[in-house]
Amino acid sequence: MSRNSGTVTANKATVTSDVPQLRPRDLLTKDDCLELFRQLYLARYFDVRLIKEKRLGHLTGTLYSSHNQEAILVGSLFGLKPNDWISPIHRDMPAFFLKDIKFDWENPERMGMSIEQVCSQVWGRVDSPGRARDNWSHIGSKSKHIIHSTSMLAGTIPVAAGVVYADRLNGGDAVCITFNGEGSTAQGIFHEAINYAAVHKLPVVTVIENNQWAYGTPVDLECPTNDVADRAKGFGIPGLVADGQDVFDVYDKVMTAVEYARAGKGPSIVECKTFRAYGHGDHDDDRANRYRPKEEIEAGRTRDPISICRNNLVALGYLSAEEAEKHRADGKNATEAKNEDFPPEVVAYLSKGIDFALKSPLPAAEEGAKWVFREPQ
Amino acid sequence: MGIPGAPMSAVADPNVLVKKNYVTALKEALFEEMASNPDLICQGEDIGILGGAFGVTEGLQAQYGNARVVDMPISEACIVGSAVGMALAGKTVMAEMQFIDFISCGFDQIVNMMATYHYRTAGEVNMPIVVRGPAGAYGGGALYHSQMNEAWFCNAPGLRVICPSTPYDAKGLLKAALRDGNPCIFFEIKELYRKREIMEFLPEEDYAIPLGKAVIRREGSDITFVSYGQNVYHCLQAAVELEKLGVRAEVIDIRTLVPLDEDTIFTSIAKTSRLIVVNEAPMTCGFAGEIVARVSEKAFEYLDAPPMRITRLDTPVPWAKPLELHVLPSVEKLVNAALKSVKF
Repeated sequence: MSRNSGTVTANKATVTSDVPQLRPRDLLTKDDCLELFRQLYLARYFDVRLIKEKRLGHLTGTLYSSHNQEAILVGSLFGLKPNDWISPIHRDMPAFFLKDIKFDWENPERMGMSIEQVCSQVWGRVDSPGRARDNWSHIGSKSKHIIHSTSMLAGTIPVAAGVVYADRLNGGDAVCITFNGEGSTAQGIFHEAINYAAVHKLPVVTVIENNQWAYGTPVDLECPTNDVADRAKGFGIPGLVADGQDVFDVYDKVMTAVEYARAGKGPSIVECKTFRAYGHGDHDDDRANRYRPKEEIEAGRTRDPISICRNNLVALGYLSAEEAEKHRADGKNATEAKNEDFPPEVVAYLSKGIDFALKSPLPAAEEGAKWVFREPQ
Repeated sequence: MGIPGAPMSAVADPNVLVKKNYVTALKEALFEEMASNPDLICQGEDIGILGGAFGVTEGLQAQYGNARVVDMPISEACIVGSAVGMALAGKTVMAEMQFIDFISCGFDQIVNMMATYHYRTAGEVNMPIVVRGPAGAYGGGALYHSQMNEAWFCNAPGLRVICPSTPYDAKGLLKAALRDGNPCIFFEIKELYRKREIMEFLPEEDYAIPLGKAVIRREGSDITFVSYGQNVYHCLQAAVELEKLGVRAEVIDIRTLVPLDEDTIFTSIAKTSRLIVVNEAPMTCGFAGEIVARVSEKAFEYLDAPPMRITRLDTPVPWAKPLELHVLPSVEKLVNAALKSVKF
């Protein structure tokens, strides 16, 4: 097991800052907690269903699974205000519809994408927000405050910094969360952009999904510090470490950073320790079972975020033992999990998106040559 | 050295107004656009407190404050990347590269992030960003303060590429670029910044020069020189020498590479039947080659001689004067090439 291990249940801030004594989770209601649980199922089901669709030959293109990492997305996004910005990357596909989804899954006006839009993108149809011009997670929305990523990792951090710089000039109080893998923290632009954000105390929260593997390279060969969050020390900003399997710990740490940013104190790095369930993309699944030690894979997948959340909810008295046993998607991989393992509203929600996408046409061929430049005004 | 055939500015009384140099023209464009566009932000290395390494932004921060005129850390990638974010949030940005040579440090943000943003989003997002900076050789700047790397950006769809050669054009094209709504790479010729010989009167009223319109700097009937930036002046000098030898050369300054005004080039070649394209960048895959290719494809029947390229040799720009001049286009090289072409 690497020293920068995903199994560490870390609960510390490597740079002390004015962290409030009351944890953000202490202000969550029972309904909030149950919604978090439901969203974990939704993110998991999205992953499971797409893997099944791909295996049935219904999908082309590479899938980048977020299996086992859902608590990071759900816990990071839950506390944001609608006007806040996010910048997801390849393993964060559920983030597009999870943004601002809280209790309002069907609202087309909410500041997040509809499931129909996201599915249209996955299927490469014209109703994708980007009209299927770039693939997979390379979508976004200016009006919904979602930054469009490229394949160049960490490349959206300066963009995020620019967005909130402009927002602040306009008198806004928006925060931007950028999601990144631990591998991308070796990129120059990661450091250049966070340095700039720290100089200007810009409200940028850099969430690091440390899943221990950057494609085929382990974290020990990517980052020399004990925690990736230690990189924050060089910028004089908080570097928090969260247990990426525990949605409440992610929520605590990210919300601490978000409130710090919103208060004008500047950026933070929040490292969420987790473990990548499958290959880098589904093309890599078989090889990932060979280049990663079997014991490491087994250990890394013992702490399913759905199980951990369920146990917390039972302990809080928010779920009865009977309710807790209802849907057992956790611990199952995509081929094992069935629709009955998920709440029916989760299955219905995604199915509706897929049905829409399948009816959406492919873009007209001539669109390939459009929008290189802005149309003359 | 004046510019024969250059459009004269609309100024009637030179006793009242003074002629202005290239850098002053740029500065006026920035001050005027900052005043008229409250969403314009300027950022770059040393542009605020110092006023820019070449003084292009002198006084700008004092007038508009450090929130809109931002001294950036030394990170070209961040200067461009944050500009992209500002544009996404509705701003217009002037991003200065201290030397255009340094633009390579921001290359990914330019070609992958900024240039493609409008395309990727099916037109949802515009990128009104002008990345500008001093470029060009002939000043002893050596390898990393002499480059003309415009061809890199002509090969990245989505970018306007602009290179003015006169004060009038510098101001008018910079204003047009800042209003265009597309990302622009704006090559300024630092050897021209304070060159007295090219100072000229600038209109008092607001003006912008449409992108994609070449200008004929000198009319002629025997051979066409096509160029941009400071090589325009080499062409004009060569035309003077050639006239003594009975060869009348036409000189076209394309001013913008993307979009390119093909019509002005083709119309000239229809008259002269001969073409020499001149640029400071290396020959292989340089923009001169692009112009020759388009002429060969679309105006072949006008040609009486093979089109020629006079460019830098395929080398970096060396430091010592004899080395530098050896690898760059010169008046002598142009005259010799023109004589060869007319004798073909």
